[in-house]
Parts: sequence; structure tokens; C-alpha cells
Amino acid sequence: MTDRIELPQGTLDLLILRTLQPGAQHGWAISERVQQVSSDVLSIQQGSLYPALHRLERRGWIKAKWGTSDNNRRAKYYELTPRGKKQLEVETEAWRKLTAAVGQVLEGA
Amino acid sequence: MMLDDLRFRTRSLLHHSQMENELDEELRFHFDKQVEKFMRSGMSEDEAKRQARLAFGTQEKVKEDCREARGTSFLELTVDDARYAARQLIANPTFALVMIATLALSIGANSAIFSVINGVMLKRLPYPQPERLVRIFLSSKEFPKFSLNPWDFLDFRARNRSFESIAAFTRGDVQLSGEGEPIRLNGFGITSGYFRVLGIQPEIGREFDYQAEVPGNGLQVVISDRLWRTRFGADPSVIGRKVTLNTQPFTIIGVMPRGTEHPGNTYHAVAYGESVDVWWPFSFAGNSNNRGSHFIEGIARLKPGVSVNQAGADMNAVMQQMAREHPNGDRGWTVLVVPLFSEVVGSTRQLLFVLLGAVGIVLLIACVNAANLLLARASARQREIAVRLAMGAPRIRVVRQLLTESLLISVIGGAVGLALAFGGVRALVALLPSDFPRAHDIHVSGPVFLFTLIVSVLTGILFGLAPAMQASRTDPRQGLQHNTRTSTASRNQGRIRSALVIAEVGLASVLLIGAGLMLRTFLNLLHLDPGFQEDHVLTASISLPHNRYNAGELTAQFYDRLAAKINALPAVVSAGAGSDLPWTGYDENTGFTIEGKRPAENEGNHARYHMATPGYFSAMGIPLLEGRLFTEGDNKHAPQVLIINRAMAQKYWPGSDAVGKRVSFDDNPKKDTDWLRVVGVVGDVKDQPNSTAAEPAFWMSEYQSSQPDMSIALRTQSDPRQAADGLRSAIHSLDPELAVADVKSMDQVADASISTPRFTFALVGLFAGLAILLAAIGAYGVIAYTVAQRTPEFGLRLALGAQRGALLRMVLAQSARLAIPGIILGVLLAISFGRVLQTLLFGVRPADPMILASVTLLVLIVSLLASYAPARRAARADPMSTLRAE
Repeated sequence: MTDRIELPQGTLDLLILRTLQPGAQHGWAISERVQQVSSDVLSIQQGSLYPALHRLERRGWIKAKWGTSDNNRRAKYYELTPRGKKQLEVETEAWRKLTAAVGQVLEGA
Repeated sequence: MMLDDLRFRTRSLLHHSQMENELDEELRFHFDKQVEKFMRSGMSEDEAKRQARLAFGTQEKVKEDCREARGTSFLELTVDDARYAARQLIANPTFALVMIATLALSIGANSAIFSVINGVMLKRLPYPQPERLVRIFLSSKEFPKFSLNPWDFLDFRARNRSFESIAAFTRGDVQLSGEGEPIRLNGFGITSGYFRVLGIQPEIGREFDYQAEVPGNGLQVVISDRLWRTRFGADPSVIGRKVTLNTQPFTIIGVMPRGTEHPGNTYHAVAYGESVDVWWPFSFAGNSNNRGSHFIEGIARLKPGVSVNQAGADMNAVMQQMAREHPNGDRGWTVLVVPLFSEVVGSTRQLLFVLLGAVGIVLLIACVNAANLLLARASARQREIAVRLAMGAPRIRVVRQLLTESLLISVIGGAVGLALAFGGVRALVALLPSDFPRAHDIHVSGPVFLFTLIVSVLTGILFGLAPAMQASRTDPRQGLQHNTRTSTASRNQGRIRSALVIAEVGLASVLLIGAGLMLRTFLNLLHLDPGFQEDHVLTASISLPHNRYNAGELTAQFYDRLAAKINALPAVVSAGAGSDLPWTGYDENTGFTIEGKRPAENEGNHARYHMATPGYFSAMGIPLLEGRLFTEGDNKHAPQVLIINRAMAQKYWPGSDAVGKRVSFDDNPKKDTDWLRVVGVVGDVKDQPNSTAAEPAFWMSEYQSSQPDMSIALRTQSDPRQAADGLRSAIHSLDPELAVADVKSMDQVADASISTPRFTFALVGLFAGLAILLAAIGAYGVIAYTVAQRTPEFGLRLALGAQRGALLRMVLAQSARLAIPGIILGVLLAISFGRVLQTLLFGVRPADPMILASVTLLVLIVSLLASYAPARRAARADPMSTLRAE
């Protein structure tokens, strides 16, 4: 197993929003997806995932609806709202700027 | 955005259980998926579940965080906590009942006393802009607070610059006749403008104008709403009707509205409230230079913006002018301007604060007790709390949960207490001394509800916070082990609980000492030599109509014939009549001149003046010390005579014989008939049982002074109340139109005069009893708990050969170790705060050694009684079972 690293503060929301961009997902799929795409480097603890989902829902960036999962169980699906999409753009942009700037500093030093 | 947020929060709150279920389902789904995944990677189902659980962390914590993320947590949690708390209470009904009952009693007592304080001290007086109303008194070295002279009043009215209006009033009951038996009505003579001062307009008609104050114009009357409804059928055309008062035709000129309250008076006091039936015009008759007699009371309304002090300065400037104009009567006086509110409630303020302090202490003890019970229960619930902590509940949640429980208990206690207060207030009002101001304003009302709510919540936090904090410090690992009795936490807790018991014993001792002082005061007053014999005396008052009896001869004749008639009644020993009865608040004074003596500058001769028939002194049991009593011969045709009391003899003729000396009521006596000769000296009767000394007083012969309003006194061999019918028929056989009022035994009069100390003692005693009961419960709780904890140790000791008696003594000694510091604390507190009681006490010092010693003994006995049952249990510990268990 690859070494996992801790999620930096504030990136969890961004990851969730990004994961939901292609379409609605339930919580478990979100955490699996993040882990897969990051080649097992990033792992979202369930203890932080669900509070984050509820927080994002409250802010109106995602909305939840009940659907049926692949094995026919009721599951709660989250999807981006228009405001969530806008927020994703803003945060992605901010993240890019941040990482670029941090990269420059690290390279330059 | 804001709106969305709000909608979301509202939805989660409204659909609380649905949201909770959804959260459960969501998390379970995740969990199952995880298990599935682990199983796919080759784990057994059990192993997969174990791993999933580990990965998941604590369920409770996740849910908690989700709730918090949703932002609805506070209310939701409170509802949750309250439900949980209710379940806890129902699961332990005895605990809940004890807590709720003690809190209900103490909160109820607080609400009841607060109702009194609210009605008496916090509510505004029932007049428009009541803060501008003041009472006016005169003050001299000898008489610190005195009534006014009518002519002085006219000068005040004409010359003051401070008052919008000023009026005078004086008690004067009238007899209403016409249909049926004549009745006596509470009446006041008032000057023009009296109701303008109070700010109350007549409902119909008008009040008196200045013309009505002129002698001969006074046959007018203003009646109360009550009299208008009961006697005149609320007839709106009643104005102008004639009504027979004191057998004279009075014209009704006004009807006062409902709620016209009497502002109180000091001279022949009538209760506050709607206690007056009729007002008649006071008329200014006689010589305007006669400034010596003081019998009217002043009331005024300040001009806007004028302060009480400014008005006082203004009035004193006027008084100084008057003193120059009338040096004989007006010198040596200053004017007191007192806000009406302090005049009404001033005397009760201290009593009410003492009572509030007493119930406050009871509540504090109840809090300490509740905290103690909660601490004891917290140790019993250690496992439950440890489980919750282990499941990931944050400590603050545990504190909240426990605090919600104590708040639930205190609020239920408060609600029950409020119900008790309804009954309590009714009982209190019935118990109140008859002269207690504004008793009719005392109700359980809105402010009382609010007060109870606040007190309940504060109480819940006060007794709940410390135990909750303590419990939340439970170490989950230790708490989960079965054996907790050796933990440091519980030893620490034991110390806290002991300290709490010491505190409550201390507080209870303070109340007991207070109750002891009140009891001593009450007994001192009860056993005081009153100066007369109050047993076997029946009294009544009558008032002879001025127009039919105005020839003095007829009045004297009436009272002489009445005495003969009453004396002929069976079982009557002696009978007489006096202008007043002892201990009824009579304080009419007059100045006088002593033959051959000039009074010192600024210091007139003053004494209480009374009238009496020959039989009065023996009927009342007032002893003759020197000279003689009145006889039938002391009438209009004989030289005028006086009987004085010992205080007057000692003050004005110290060291010499007063009998035979002469005084005059004339400022400048010339003729021989201006003088009255002292013929006897009688024993002193104090104004009130708790007065420090009797005032100088004298009696004139009723057959010479012909006072029409008299109190009858008759001494009987048997129960005086049996003579009431005989007395009535004796009076009616002489004059069927006379109203016989205030028929009561002198015992009842004496009883009423000590009703305030009795009331204080009854309440403080009740609260002290409640306090010591609560403290005993508290002490029992702690001792019983430690005994239960130490039972194995006791068993071990017994097994090692200890005597059972020694164990019993050991537990009792532990109880004494709680009681003794408590008592010391209580005594110290009582000594340092005893001063506040000073004016309520009579004949006893706050640090009375007798009382301190008795309270110490009582508290010790109670604490030993409280610990006796646990001590017996300790002594009965079974060595065998202990050894097996260990």
C-alpha cells in the first residue's frame, strides 16, 4: 500500500465538489473515487466525509436525493448545484494559484 | 443564500426524526459497502466488519459532527437531551420525587414571599404619578412624627410654593341610619382638594369646594363605589339625595370610582385599599390662634420637577414664619415631607427583606442538597457516562446532558412550586398582621411567574453545574471497571459532598438562630406586663350623634345610665367607657400649662389625652397608684379634675406629689375654672406592647368633657364574649338608633397588637424547620453513602475483632464532624448578620447565648438522628460475606 498523506486543511470540500462534477454520487463512492484517482495517496476518513457533505449541503453547493445503488439498495446521492459548480471553479482556480505559487517558492529556494 | 440556510435548518429541525433516520441509513450504507469491499479482498465477514468499524471511527462522533454541520444542533440536542433526561427521571422515580419535592417547596416559598414583595414594594401605588405624592408631618424633639394642626394646615396651603395641591384628612366614622339596624361606616373628614391630590376624579358628581370647609356648610358627603352599589343600587341619579349620617341629613354630592384606595393614615389608622366608605368635609371651626391641638394629617402632590427635599426646605421656611407669628403653638416644630410610598411600605421593608433572606437560604440549602444527591447519583451513573465517553461523545456533550437533567428537575420543581405558591400566598395573606400595607395587592401575578422561572433555571444551573463537570471528568477506562470505590475521583467527590453538607448545616443553623430570636421576641411580648388586665374584658365602640346629644349633659347622662345598665348584667364585674382602648394605636396629644411653672424655651408640655368614666379603670384593670379615681360627682357642676399616669407624674412633677397640682389647656389661664386639678395617678399603659416606655398621659372625666365617641369596656367573670348580646341590648334600650361597632374581647385587641412578631416568628420558624429538614436529608445522604462504600471495611474490622458498638460510634462521630463545623459556621454567620434583625427583636440580643446553645444542641441531635440508621447498618455489617466478596 502506498503511503497516504493527510489532507491539507480546506481541500476536502474542493475534492468532494470535484468528484461530483461528472454526476451524482453517494458518500462511499466519493471516498472510493478520491482514493482511486489519487492512486491511494489520498484517503478521506468517513469521520470527516459525512460532516463535510452535510456542511456543503447546508451551504447550498450540493443537494442530496435518495436513489437506488447498483445492488438495489437505497442510497443517498449528492450532486452539484449551479452554485456548487461556480464554487468549484472559484476554488479550483484558487488552488491552482496556490500550488503554482508554492511550487515557485520551492523551486526558487 | 441566507434564506436557503434558514430553510435548511428549519427543515432539519421540523423533520428531526426523519433526518436522524436518514443519517443512520446513510452511514449504515457506507459501512456495508466497506464490509463488502473488505470481503472482496478476501477477509472473513467478521474480520471485515471489525476492520470497517476501525476505519469508521466512533459512530456517535460522526453523527454528532454531521448534526453540527447541519447547524441545527443546539435545539435538536436540547430536545434530545430533554427526552433522555425525562427517561432518566422516570427510571429513578424516588430520586426524581425527592429532588422535585424539595425544590418545589423551596421555590414555592420563594415565589410566595416574592408575591408579597411584588405586591407591596414593587407595584406602583394606585394613583396617577404616585411618585409625586407626599405625606406631611410635623416633628419636634419630643414628637418625631406628629399630625398637623388645622390652622397650621391653612397657612401651609396658602404659603407653600412646592405643591400642585395639598389637603388634610382625619378619621371620623359615621353612623348610617334609615333602614334596618344602624351601621357604622369608615369615614374621613377631608379638606377641599383631597381627591385632586390623589389624582382621582369622582365617578359622578364632584368633590368638596372651599365653601364646604366653612362651619355649618358641612352636611355634604362623597360616598364610595361600594356603598353606592350596596346601599343605593348603583343609582346614577343619587347625586343630591339625602342620607342620614349621625342622624343628620347629608346631601350626596359625589360618588368615587371603584379602586379609590385609602392612602393610609397614622391616626386611628384604617387599612390601605378600598377601606373607606364616606368622606365628609372637614370644617375649620374655632379660634385660628389655637395652634396646640394636632389631629389632622397632611398629604400633597408635588409640582412637576420639585423634589421632596426642595419641598421640605420650602415648608420649613413657611414653618419658621409661622413660629414667629405664633410663638406659643408653632415654635419648636419642623416639617417632615415624606414620599407616600416610603410612608406606606417603609415599616414592612425590613420584615420583607428578612423573610426574603430566610427563603433565599432555604432555596440555597435545597440547591446544596440537590447538588449532593446529583453527586451521589453521578457515581452510580459512572458506568453509563463512561460508556458514552468511550463511544466518542465529547465531554461538553456529557455536561450538557447532565445539565439538561438538572434543569428539567428544577423547572418541574418550579412549576409545582408555583402551584404551591398559589395556596401559600392565600395562607400568607390570611396570616398577615391586620395593619400590613397593601395586603389586597398581593397575588401570584405575571412578575411572580417570571421570577419563578428565573429562579428555577438559576437553581438548576447552580446545583447541576458542579456535579455535571465532576461527572464529565470520569475516566472512561476506570469508569468501565466494576469496582470504582477506590478511585481518587470518588474520594475527591466525598470531600466535596462533606463540604456541601457542612455548608447546609451552617445555613440551617442561621435560620434556626433567627427563628429562636423571633420566638424569644414573641414570648417576651406575650409575657410582658401590659399595665392592664386583658383577660375577661369585652369592648365595643359607639358614637353618639352630635345633634341629639350635643348638650354635654345628655352625653354624660347616657354614659352614666349605660354603666348602670351594664353593671346590672349577669357576670359583669365592672363597666366603664373610655375615649380609646390600650394598644389600638391611639396617640392624641395636647399641650398644657402647669400652674406655677414656665416650660423651657422650645419645649412645650405635651401628653396623650383621654376621657374616661368612673368605671373605666377598674373594668380595664389599670391600677390606681395614688389619690382617687373619678366618681359620678366629677360632672359639669364640680371643679374639673384629671387623672394622670405614672409617666406624666414622673416627668412633670419628679420627686414630688402630683396629686393636688393644677394644669390648664389655656395658653393664658386667668379664671379659676380654667384649671384642672390632678386627683389621682394610675399605672402606665404603653402605646404598643413593644413600646420602650409609656408616654405621659392623662384622663379627663367623661362627665365633664362629654366626648360623644367612646369605647365601652366591661369586665366579666366568665367568657366576655357571652356578654356581647347583653351589651347590645343595654345600649339599644337607651337608644335604638345607635350602631354598636367593633365588639371584641380585649384578648383579641391584645392579640392583634402582637400579630407582626407572631407572623414573623411563624414564617421564619417554618422556613427554619424546612431548612433543618433539608440539611438532615443531606447529612443522611452523605453518611449513608459512605457507610455503603465502607461496608466491606467494616466487615473486615469486625472480622479482625472490632466491637459493633465501636463501629456505631465511628459513624456517629463522622456525622458530628460534619455537624460541628456547620454549627460553628452558622453561629459566626448569625453573629455577623444579626444586626439586620435588630429592629424586629424585642428584649433579646442577636447573639443570645441561650439561643446559640439551644440551636447547637438541636442541630447536633438532628445530625445524630440523621446518621443513626446508617450507623446501625455499619454495625450490622457481615464479616463473612465481606471476606468472601474480597
